[in-house]
Amino acid sequence: MIELPDLVAGALTAGTLSALALGGGLMRSRRQQAQQRAEIAALRRQLDGTLHAFTAEVGHLAAQRMPATARQLDRPHITVPGPRQPHLTGTPLGGALEDVLAALRVELTAQRTRIDAAAQAGMRGATREIQAALYRLQDALRALQQRYDDPELAQTLFELDHENEQSLRRAQVAAVVCGAWVGLAREESHLVDAVTGGQARLAGYHRVRVHNHLKPGTALVSHAVEPVAIIVAELLDNALRHSAPDTDVTVNLEHVHHGVCVTIDDAGLGMTQDERARAQRLVAGSEPILLTDLGDPPRMGLAAIGQLTRQFDLSVDLSSPSPYGGVRAVLLVDSHLLSRIDPEERPPAAGAPRSTRRAEPATSSPAHAYGTEPDDAASGAVSRHDGPRDAGGLPQRRRRTRATADSEPAPRRPARRPEEAAAALGALQSGTAAARAVARDGVPERADEATSDTDQTDYEGGAAR
Amino acid sequence: MTGRPGGRPLVPAYLSTGGVARPSRDRLERLSVLTGTGEAPPADLPAAQLALLDELADGSLTVVEAAALLRLPVSAVRVLAAGLVDRNLVLARAPIPPAEGFDPDLLKRVADGLRALKHP
Repeated sequence: MIELPDLVAGALTAGTLSALALGGGLMRSRRQQAQQRAEIAALRRQLDGTLHAFTAEVGHLAAQRMPATARQLDRPHITVPGPRQPHLTGTPLGGALEDVLAALRVELTAQRTRIDAAAQAGMRGATREIQAALYRLQDALRALQQRYDDPELAQTLFELDHENEQSLRRAQVAAVVCGAWVGLAREESHLVDAVTGGQARLAGYHRVRVHNHLKPGTALVSHAVEPVAIIVAELLDNALRHSAPDTDVTVNLEHVHHGVCVTIDDAGLGMTQDERARAQRLVAGSEPILLTDLGDPPRMGLAAIGQLTRQFDLSVDLSSPSPYGGVRAVLLVDSHLLSRIDPEERPPAAGAPRSTRRAEPATSSPAHAYGTEPDDAASGAVSRHDGPRDAGGLPQRRRRTRATADSEPAPRRPARRPEEAAAALGALQSGTAAARAVARDGVPERADEATSDTDQTDYEGGAAR
Repeated sequence: MTGRPGGRPLVPAYLSTGGVARPSRDRLERLSVLTGTGEAPPADLPAAQLALLDELADGSLTVVEAAALLRLPVSAVRVLAAGLVDRNLVLARAPIPPAEGFDPDLLKRVADGLRALKHP
C-alpha cells in the first residue's frame, strides 16, 4: 500500500515531466513550422518574381534583341539593345541569352550567303544569255552600218548601236557583279581604245574629254582590255551621273613609274566622308559581294569594279577629291598588264584621241632633242604626282605641241598637188609604153618583169595612199 | 589594214562623229575624191577628223577608200569629210562619171571591117 502512492507519485512526476517536455517540443515545432511557412512564402514570392523577370527577359529577347540582331547584318548602323535588366550582363543567364543571339547571327549569315549565291547564279545565267544576244545584235547592226550609208538610216543605226552598247554594259556589269567572266575575249588593244570604248558605252559620252598623254602604241595585254573598258565605263558613269549636265568629265591618260594611270575628274558635288569610305571599300574588292548589300535598285557599278580589280590585279582609288570640286577616280594599270602595239601597223581607232606625244620619235634625233626633251621630261615628272597642276595648265601646253606636230606635214603637202599627180601618172604611162615597146622588140622577159614590178609599186603609191 | 584585225571593234563608229550620221552637206558620194587643202588643222579638231586628215596627207582618196583605211562605215566618213570641207581643210570633188558605154553594133562592124581588111 505504501508502494502505490510512490508509484503514483513517480508516474505522475514522469507524466508531468514528459508532458512538459512534449509541450515544449510541440511549441518549438509550431514555431519552426510557422517560420518555415514564412520562408516558403518568401521563396515562392521570389520565385514568382524571378520567373516573371525571366519571362520578360525572354520576351524582350524575342521582341527586340533578335530582330535587331537580324537587321544589323545588312544594316550595320543598327544597335542591338542590351538585356531588359542591366544587372543580368555577366551572369550565366545573361551569357546564355548572348549565346542565343550569337547562334542566330551565325545561322543567318550562312543563310544569307546561301540565298545570295543562289540569286547570283540565277542572275549570272540570265545575263550571260542576254549578253550573248546583245553581241549578236551588235554584229548585225554594224554589218548594216557597213552596208547602208543613207544618212537617215545610218542615223538610226548609230542610235540603235548606242542603245545596244548601253544595254550591253548593264548586262555585262550585272554578270560581273555575280561573279561571271567579262564575257568577251579581246586581243591586245591600244589602251586609249579601251578607254574610248568604255566612254562609248554611256549615254552622256559627249561630255567626256579624253586627254591622251601616253606614248603612241601603249597597249593592254589581251585579258586586261575588257576589264579596263568596263572599269572606265563605270567610273565615267558615276562621274557623269553625279555632275551637272553642262559640265565636262575629264579623263587623263598618263604614264607613271610602274604603269599607266587613268585619272577621271568630275566637277560635281563630290562625296561625303562616309560615301567615300563605302565607295573605296567596294572598289577595293576585298570583301565578298552580296546582292542584298547593293541596295534597291542595286548599285552595281562600284561592286563590279571591285570584282574586276580583285581578279585582274588592277587598282582603283577614290579617296582624293578632284581639284574641279567633284570626285577624282584613279585607275592604275600595272606595267605587267601593259604591252606595245606598233601604231603604224595597227593604228588606234579613228575616234580615239591622239596622243599628245607625237613628237616622241624625234627625240632620238639629236637635232630635235632640245626642242622636245624638256617638255617630255616635265610631263613625265608631273604625271607622278598628278596634282592640280596637271588639271590646270598642262593639257593646253600639250595641245600646243600637237599643233606644231600637225603643222609639220604642211611643207610636204605640195608634193601631192593634182598637177603633180597628173605628171606622175603621165610618167608612169610613158614608162609603161616605153617598156612595152622594148618588150615587143624582143628584149628578154626580165625587163618585162621589172616593168610590172615598178608598175605595181607606183600604182600602190599613187592611188591607194 | 585588213578589215577588222581585232575582232569586234572596241570603239563603235558613232563615237567618231559624236553620234551624227547626217552630213552637213549632201554632195559627198561614195566615190567623191577628197583632197587635203594643206591648211594647218585647228587645235580643237575632233580626233576622227584629224585621223581622216592624216590619211589625206599622203594623197587624195575617195570616200570609200578613206572609210576602209579608217575602219569606219562610209556614213561616218561622209560626216567627217563634210565637217572638214566646212572648215576648208579638205576639198571634195564629185566622182568621175564612168565613160559612156560603146555601141556594141558599131564595135562589131568595125571589127568586121578590120577582119575584111586583114583577109582580103
